[in-house]
Amino acid sequence: MSRTETMPSMPEDALISVSGLKKYFPVTRGWLQRQVGEVKAVDDVSFNIRRGETFGLVGESGSGKSTVARLILRAYMLTGGSIKFRRGDGSVVDLSDLSDREMRPVRREMQMVFQDPYSSLDPRMTLLDIVGEPLVIHGVGSKGEIRDRVGELLGLVGLRPEYAVRYPHAFSGGQRQRIGIARALALNPSFIAADEAVSALDVSVAAQNINLLQDLQEKFGLTYLFITHDLGMVEHISDRIGVMYVGRLVELGDTAEIFEKPLHPYTEALLSAVPQPDPRRRESGRRIVLKGEIADPANPPTGCTFHPRCPYATDLCKKEVPELRPVRGRQVRCHYAEELDLAGVGA
Amino acid sequence: MTIDTTPMPPERLLELDDVHVHFSMREGLVKAVNGVSYHVDRGEVLGIVGESGSGKSVTARAIMRLLAKNAIQASGHIRFRPEQGKEVEISSLPRDGRKMRELRGGHIGMIFQEPMTALSPVHSIGTQIMRTVMLHKRVGKEAARARAIELLEKVQLPKPSEMVDRYPHQLSGGMRQRAMIALALSCDPALLIADEPTTALDVTTEAQILELLKSLQEEMGMAIVFITHNFGVVADIADRVAVMYLGRIVETGSVDDIFYQPKHPYTRALLQSIPRLGQAPVHRLKTIPGMVPDPFNAPRGCSFHPRCAYSVAGRCDVYAPDVKRFPDDQSARCHLAGELPEEVVL
Repeated sequence: MSRTETMPSMPEDALISVSGLKKYFPVTRGWLQRQVGEVKAVDDVSFNIRRGETFGLVGESGSGKSTVARLILRAYMLTGGSIKFRRGDGSVVDLSDLSDREMRPVRREMQMVFQDPYSSLDPRMTLLDIVGEPLVIHGVGSKGEIRDRVGELLGLVGLRPEYAVRYPHAFSGGQRQRIGIARALALNPSFIAADEAVSALDVSVAAQNINLLQDLQEKFGLTYLFITHDLGMVEHISDRIGVMYVGRLVELGDTAEIFEKPLHPYTEALLSAVPQPDPRRRESGRRIVLKGEIADPANPPTGCTFHPRCPYATDLCKKEVPELRPVRGRQVRCHYAEELDLAGVGA
Repeated sequence: MTIDTTPMPPERLLELDDVHVHFSMREGLVKAVNGVSYHVDRGEVLGIVGESGSGKSVTARAIMRLLAKNAIQASGHIRFRPEQGKEVEISSLPRDGRKMRELRGGHIGMIFQEPMTALSPVHSIGTQIMRTVMLHKRVGKEAARARAIELLEKVQLPKPSEMVDRYPHQLSGGMRQRAMIALALSCDPALLIADEPTTALDVTTEAQILELLKSLQEEMGMAIVFITHNFGVVADIADRVAVMYLGRIVETGSVDDIFYQPKHPYTRALLQSIPRLGQAPVHRLKTIPGMVPDPFNAPRGCSFHPRCAYSVAGRCDVYAPDVKRFPDDQSARCHLAGELPEEVVL
């Protein structure tokens, strides 16, 4: 692979390195589908995911976090940027210029777990067909071998191997989510993107599945991209996080540091908005209630996209777009990252 | 059905006494609500928490008499006092009778999780509010429209005089939820039933809606039954809390007692399974083993015993526990309540 030689280096410990990632969706009008604008769903997003870590992407709906996951798995074609992926044999490939055919073997190494355990499993397929499908598609093993492997995978996620003959309707939401996890594991991937993988589940079941994901990570040395709007969950599971707002990263760094002391006003507001299971907090009244709603990515505000809702915004914020820049070992997109004294969570 | 002769205490607004709701299905009888009793006082917020299938929404619909056709309201009494002195037994009223229609929307408002399906897509927000106002308050179109605008302003929608002519699809999720709150409050109800009103919203919008509900509650003095599966939301808004499991209330108490001194093993286990912000990192989350049993064959004895860490063989799996009462109106349906080992919950 001569292509790999010419590329700018990616950090030694990185499994995935995303740089300048862009995805613009066209806005069309009329029966001729004339393009009248574009939605910058993801705009210039860069981050690394280290091998064996869990990287969390958080943000509200419409922030572009799911689009990033889909771009990394090449479910969408990107508008710009590059996605470098370190393969099992040590070679580095840029997913952005692979053809679909070249992409195919790489897909074995990266898999996805979806949010909705009801719509992501075909109701007319048995678990054997569902969990075994990746093996069939990639031509791994004979019929008997596939059956054995499916049984083994179901065992890994805490389901009985005899369940292989059943259909998804016989299972609860939490169990279905496990079936989706078993399917993702079928080809021994090194990377799994989990898009709101526990958001639809009840608390006790979500906790079971989170523990399962962590066990599997330890067992197989998996690397996770964990996408969620649940900040409690992301704090629990992620080593590092990226906070997105209207298609851009606004803060990126170590989870514990960000939660303890955010440097971007949006991160601060997000953290303070989370309802805490602690009635005594009510009196402290520290909650920041943001004005208005998330900006429309088809028609973003001038300057910093967060300025209309930001309690600290000045004239500079209205005019100039802040760059994502290093501040105290993190990346922050705010003009005043150094000056502001923002509140985190904790004691 | 005979009306209970003991009148409700003066502060009482709503009282449920041993309410059962069953559904007859092809697979058998589902006892969705299996003897629920709770009460709501004037102006207080009662939070009802439970996992899916615990019967929290079905109970709320029984209060509104909005249950599906195949529901059998087997037994129990639901009493409501719309004004001082007048007590109504909701459970004995015909569901489409005049009195019930007067209460529904007039004295009891309800908001739902998904405003897109709860609001009519073919009528403007204003029309929907005006109809309710005209029906219950017997006022003309002009007055109803003025009231609609006033309500939209109250729920802090921008430009209420324009918003009144908008349709639900033109609004964002948070704005729709505000419009639905305006509709539910249009006749100054004494009771608002809120069924997971913030579950589908982003955290920042959720915070906005919770703040709005709290300020409206303070201003208008209505009582709220707030149904949710999110303990964080309950901690934020409720005065008292009822925890439901498999069609029963397993524990009730003040919000502080429920969070800091839970008496039922299920409440404890649920509280421990939520990751908390700013908590020292724990390696694993505590979980509740197994899953909610299917309602066709609820376990014998205490319905939580197969998943309970403290279950005593020969007792919990044989005898259904009675309600044990504790100081400050806290009560738990558990054989071992009050005898559980002390645990640091927070």
